[in-house]
Amino acid sequence: MSAPILVEDLRRTFDDITAVDGVDLEVHDGEIFGFLGPNGAGKSTIVRMLVTLLKPTSGRARVAGFDVVSQSAQVRSSIGVALQDAAIDPLMTGRELLRLQAVLHGIGRKDGNERSERLLERVGLTEAADRLVGGYSGGMRRRLDLALALMHEPKVLFLDEPTTGLDPMSRLNLWEEVRRLNTEFGATVFLTTQYLEEADELAHRVAIIDHGRIVREGTPVALKDQVGSPTLRLDVPGEQYEVARDLLVQFGEERAARSGRLAVGLDAGATGMRDVVRALDEAGIEVLHMELDAPSLDDVFAEATGRRLEGAGE
Amino acid sequence: MTTTVAGTRASHMPLFVAQSWALVMRAVVRFVRQPASWIPGMVFPLLLVAVNSSAMSRVATLPGVVPPGTTFLMFLLPAAIIQGVMFGGISGGAELATDIQTGFFDRLISSPVSRPSILVGRLGGAMAFGAFQAVVFQLILWPFGGDVVGGIAGRLVLVVVAVVLSLGFGALAAGIAARTGQAEAVQGFFPLVFISLFLSSCFFPTELMSGWYQTVAEYNPISVMVDGMRYQVLEGFSWSEAAQSVGVAAIIAVLGLWFAAAGVRKRIAVGG
Repeated sequence: MSAPILVEDLRRTFDDITAVDGVDLEVHDGEIFGFLGPNGAGKSTIVRMLVTLLKPTSGRARVAGFDVVSQSAQVRSSIGVALQDAAIDPLMTGRELLRLQAVLHGIGRKDGNERSERLLERVGLTEAADRLVGGYSGGMRRRLDLALALMHEPKVLFLDEPTTGLDPMSRLNLWEEVRRLNTEFGATVFLTTQYLEEADELAHRVAIIDHGRIVREGTPVALKDQVGSPTLRLDVPGEQYEVARDLLVQFGEERAARSGRLAVGLDAGATGMRDVVRALDEAGIEVLHMELDAPSLDDVFAEATGRRLEGAGE
Repeated sequence: MTTTVAGTRASHMPLFVAQSWALVMRAVVRFVRQPASWIPGMVFPLLLVAVNSSAMSRVATLPGVVPPGTTFLMFLLPAAIIQGVMFGGISGGAELATDIQTGFFDRLISSPVSRPSILVGRLGGAMAFGAFQAVVFQLILWPFGGDVVGGIAGRLVLVVVAVVLSLGFGALAAGIAARTGQAEAVQGFFPLVFISLFLSSCFFPTELMSGWYQTVAEYNPISVMVDGMRYQVLEGFSWSEAAQSVGVAAIIAVLGLWFAAAGVRKRIAVGG
């Protein structure tokens, strides 16, 4: 099967502004693909082109095997879309909206009603199903939005900043739901986000976009490893300091640390921790405090753009 | 659009019809659940009719204004219906702008819904509301002397004109909504239509007007439409007068639909 999402040299301009500037992407079958970038980087513009809401200025994109321009109807039948700001009619109930969604996707009444009930249960909205959506909390709206996107059991699911504006607990719940539908349905998920930890937690692979261009792409671990090795910081009793230092430098280059603390960059990455701990144990060194400071996706973004992403979208 | 989810459609109703019907029902449900958006549009024409029929009741005594045995309230009944339909139609069209502003329009067009269904759903709701208004206005004004000499057939003509005119005003408003994406811009269209009613025979007989005002009113297509409706109310049922009213409403509807369809097509093509 061809890649669920394949993008080649995609561009989109608005008058003299280039929002998307030659993007190439390949999203693999069954993966959660995180699309990370600050506000205005071009994330939503790319999503709008992929879900056929916006025509590209140039370039090509195929979704679920169909061209987004010449086969847009087939694309729409194959995808589920939950756009930014959960565009849900506040004057309708959750159940009414799900049943409407079923009709829009050409699903018969009986099947549509059954699917609506299943989805309401799945996203925990059965109790609130007959309440007007205008009275739902932000988290409930997002969960309903997700249920709407899943009505026709799409092969590819687009989630555009699904947790923006949610409280931490609602965010965690939604992450869990996204993971479940990826593992249980096998749906390929294209997730845009401005939250580093969201991409880190959920995505199998991540692309970082800035000023309409992809600046980094890969698994979160690989991207972070490219920035540099994680730093292990260690406090030991003063009399064991030198012994511990001689031992630690075998695992990587010594790094700057405050007085009395040891710091070393682990050449083997985070997985090298196991060997360090074993060596310290065998040498009889008492460890008072230990922490591993791994590079974050923000470090990856900073390395690629010279700016920090953290807080940029707030 | 004939795409379906394989093996899931049990209904024999064509997909376009099923989708359009579902969207019409959504529009109706929205009307029912937000009475504040349409009650003023129904109260205002009734108040205007009440004030005018009381303040200008002596006009009815002038020769040739209304036939003997009829009232000035009956003369104003078609005006109330047209005015209410204008309010309702524009509100219905403005709902499309609300859908665009809230992102619901994007939700629709990112689904495999038949494109014409989006407009049919919106305008179908406006037409249903137009029929509701025509019936309610007749029922409310009946006890106060707002009878219809044309009987059931005449009353039915008033309802049909209201429905077709709702489609026309709704489509014109939807066309503006599709082009601007702003409910405020659609509401801004309202005074223009309102003026066109005053420059017609809606509220006053053209025979009693003078100068340019009379000329404009006589050539105003709305006068042609309202005169045909008024004939049903004051004189009796007439096929030719009914055709005249429905015809003008239908021309407005065709122009409106062309304007709206082009606007929606453009919005979808450009991708707002």
